[in-house]
Amino acid sequence: MSLENQRASQIAVINTALGSKVEARRDHTSRVHQTQNCMRVVIAGAGDVGFHLAELLAYEDKDIVLIDLDQDLLDYASTHLDVLTVRGDSASPQVLEQAGVERANLFLAVTTSEKTNLMSAILAKKIGARQTIARVNSPEYLEEVNREIFDELGVDTLISPQELAAAEIARLVQQCSFTDIFEFEEGKIALAGITLDDSSRLLNVPLCSFGQYCTDDSVRPMAILRGHQTIIPHGDTVLRRGDHVYFITKRENIDELNQLVGKTKVRLKNIMIVGGTPLALATAKRLEADYNVTLIEKSKDVCKELADELRNTLIIHGDAGNVTLLEEEGIHRMDAFIALSPNSETNIIASLTAKNFGVYKTIAQVENKEYIHISQNIGVDTLINKKLIAANNIFRFVRKGHVEAITSLHGVDAEVIEYVITKANQLTKKSLKELHFPKTALIGGVIRGEESLIPTGDFRLEVDDKVIVFAMPDAIGKLDQLFR
Amino acid sequence: MINIRPILRFSGVLLVLLGVFMLSALPVSWWFGGQDFQALLWSALICIGIGLPAWWWLRKDAKGNIGKREGYLIVAGGWLLMSVFGMLPYLLSGEIPEWYNAFFETSSGITTTGASVLTDIEAVTPGILYWRSLTHWIGGMGIIVLTVALMPLLGIGGIELFVAESPGPTSDKLHPRIRETAKRLWLIYVGFTIVLALLLWAGGMTPFDAVNHSFATVATGGFSTKNASMAYYESPFLHYVTIFFMIAAGANFSIHYHLLKRHFSTVFKNEEFRTYLLIIAAATLVIAVSLVWHFDYGVEKAFRDSLFHVVSVITTTGFITADYSQWGPGVVMIIFLLLFVGGCAGSTGGGIKIIRHLVFIKNSWLEFKRILHPRAIVPLKVNGETVAPRIMTHIIIFLLLYLLLTLVGSLALSVMGIDFATAVGATATSLGNVGPAIGDVGPVDNFAWMPPAAKVWLGLLMIMGRLEIFTILVLFTPYFWKSN
Repeated sequence: MSLENQRASQIAVINTALGSKVEARRDHTSRVHQTQNCMRVVIAGAGDVGFHLAELLAYEDKDIVLIDLDQDLLDYASTHLDVLTVRGDSASPQVLEQAGVERANLFLAVTTSEKTNLMSAILAKKIGARQTIARVNSPEYLEEVNREIFDELGVDTLISPQELAAAEIARLVQQCSFTDIFEFEEGKIALAGITLDDSSRLLNVPLCSFGQYCTDDSVRPMAILRGHQTIIPHGDTVLRRGDHVYFITKRENIDELNQLVGKTKVRLKNIMIVGGTPLALATAKRLEADYNVTLIEKSKDVCKELADELRNTLIIHGDAGNVTLLEEEGIHRMDAFIALSPNSETNIIASLTAKNFGVYKTIAQVENKEYIHISQNIGVDTLINKKLIAANNIFRFVRKGHVEAITSLHGVDAEVIEYVITKANQLTKKSLKELHFPKTALIGGVIRGEESLIPTGDFRLEVDDKVIVFAMPDAIGKLDQLFR
Repeated sequence: MINIRPILRFSGVLLVLLGVFMLSALPVSWWFGGQDFQALLWSALICIGIGLPAWWWLRKDAKGNIGKREGYLIVAGGWLLMSVFGMLPYLLSGEIPEWYNAFFETSSGITTTGASVLTDIEAVTPGILYWRSLTHWIGGMGIIVLTVALMPLLGIGGIELFVAESPGPTSDKLHPRIRETAKRLWLIYVGFTIVLALLLWAGGMTPFDAVNHSFATVATGGFSTKNASMAYYESPFLHYVTIFFMIAAGANFSIHYHLLKRHFSTVFKNEEFRTYLLIIAAATLVIAVSLVWHFDYGVEKAFRDSLFHVVSVITTTGFITADYSQWGPGVVMIIFLLLFVGGCAGSTGGGIKIIRHLVFIKNSWLEFKRILHPRAIVPLKVNGETVAPRIMTHIIIFLLLYLLLTLVGSLALSVMGIDFATAVGATATSLGNVGPAIGDVGPVDNFAWMPPAAKVWLGLLMIMGRLEIFTILVLFTPYFWKSN
């Protein structure tokens, strides 16, 4: 129908240089500050996860207190973010009180030490924090049977960066033609990133004539990353070869999307994992039932420990930097190569080597989150940072109010925000094209009960709808006003 | 230096216990006319007369350390002692006047082998027959384990003894304390005996026969009170009840404990138990089909007879319902091979034990994987747990020693003028504690015709087999007697 109208009315091309993200957020924070009553969030641990969370929460207009033992980390945080810092051990009641935990709506324990996190969360709850979240490493804690124990202790939610990252890697392997995939509402709607090549049917066609290729509302491009530019597409945008495009799609249409972009759904069989890290173990555990998994690790002792835990994975003792070894273990027969060693550079080089041998899908774990942006340029299909994944996931738990979820896309200067329509207002009275929606934002999908919809211009929102919005930073302020 | 006093004291305790068991035969003897009353009474008095002073006089300085060496000496010496003093009733009553025959019969009883030198069992007086079956029952669960369970005041930890006497490479402790574990095992054992005796009585046996057969079945012994063994009874009910309890006795007793505790998943995930049932099913099927095919057998009769013999041999019981040596060379070969299988670890059965075969075969299978991937770490897992290389080596050495001992044993018999098949069969059946074998010691033959030296030799092989080789052989190594 009037898909094109809607696009034309809502979409504008925005070329924002990379790196302006943080500044944009801080502006926005100060802008809305007066209108909100304060909610206090205490974060224990100012490492990558803590910092990233603080960054995400800061523009949610929260009073944020960061606790850490390391003064340098705190200094860095306080110069880059609008937060209060407290130096000390978060497992100490005195430090917690100093950080104002008794007034905190939310306590996040995300230090690298699992025991500290659990202890701090338990203490924080007793002192008065309303909700507590602790980051853990051991998958055992996450098991449903232990749920009650932690509830009683006062830890409301447990988050394991490892398990989350492993789940994401498993998803990427299952949907192997996509470089990244985000799921909303238990996978009812997915946002899939893909780099277009010559086999795509969508090349050199304006978006407004997409209708001839796909059914009405199954698949829609939400953002295009072309070189360093982020483009929010509109009716006459033309996709080019090499574009990295984020499509929004419903679960049942993922195969259709694969066809459209010319990727026959490749069934992966052989997977090689490099590194014996806990993340590698968690990943192998998820994959070994369905794929032939080979895992390479340098240390013999680690190999033995892994061998105790894993059932069907072939564990090789050796250095993944040794190309002869890789050849012996059949790297040319591999369909996917996942580098998860602790060293980012090793992972990237190993993945490039694998790509050179013709491996279809390469995934590399990087510690440095700045590297995430370069994956498209260097030729590794996907770069994973488990801390970012953890922070994003914790953020989903945090905002059970208007904003359901927020996701940062790698390399794209835009955010995906999930809003819930809580009451009838102008949003539900008008159709989408009549709303004064920001030009740099786009509604990607709507979840109504069990149903998922990709709306057109005539679509009208209803109360309790969950709306997935794709927005450039400058549109977020307007969006918040609209949805609250 | 080896601490000799606790060993002597423990031997005294064992003798007293043996005497008490002999006393329990007195009421039986009295009920049936008392021809053997005096012989049994005197035997009991001799045992107690020697044992009690040793127990009493050494009570003060027996608190010395019981180390590995003392443990092995107690177990090996204890079993020899019982085989010697267990001869008394046979000798004093004149039922078996020659000492070598009496030794053979006693060690065959106490090691639950079930091979006999008696040509006419039904002519033997009931008191002596009862004693003969009782030796099975004493030896089945292990009298040393019983002593540890009954005599907490001995001040002996018992773990050394338990390990030295328990069948199989693993001893699953059911309780943190060895004494409690031993108690639980014996309770199950006694429970089985009572239930089986009642069932056999209900199925038509006289109470005397029912008790004797019950002793012989739960101990996986094989002494019957009838010349024709179980073939004397034509009731399928009695056969099936016996089959069921033989299978139960040949399974790991911790399985029964878990069944009683309703841990069903633990039981069905137990690989050894599954293999055990699988071997029984497969061998039964092959023999039954062959019986129906080649002989004029009814299907039910073929099934029952093959199942009976497969179970009887694999659990190392040794009851028979038919003459399997008439079933063709193929079947005889299968039965011969089953002599080497044995029951599960922790059962009352003898032989090599399923768990060792399982570990050996799994390891051999994995060796092919190791050849293809020389750098792979391929652990051997049983029940999902890695088997330590140390245990694996131990098992393989056991298998080789067992086979070596079979060859040496057969050689010794051949030198005494016994033909090849009989020599190999007799050695295998003695070492495996089974009972019937092939050649001239087939199911309907007995060992009466053998030269005295062969009888003593086979009696020693039985004890060696019952104590799983190492416990006896370690005494013959120089390391054992060195003071460091």
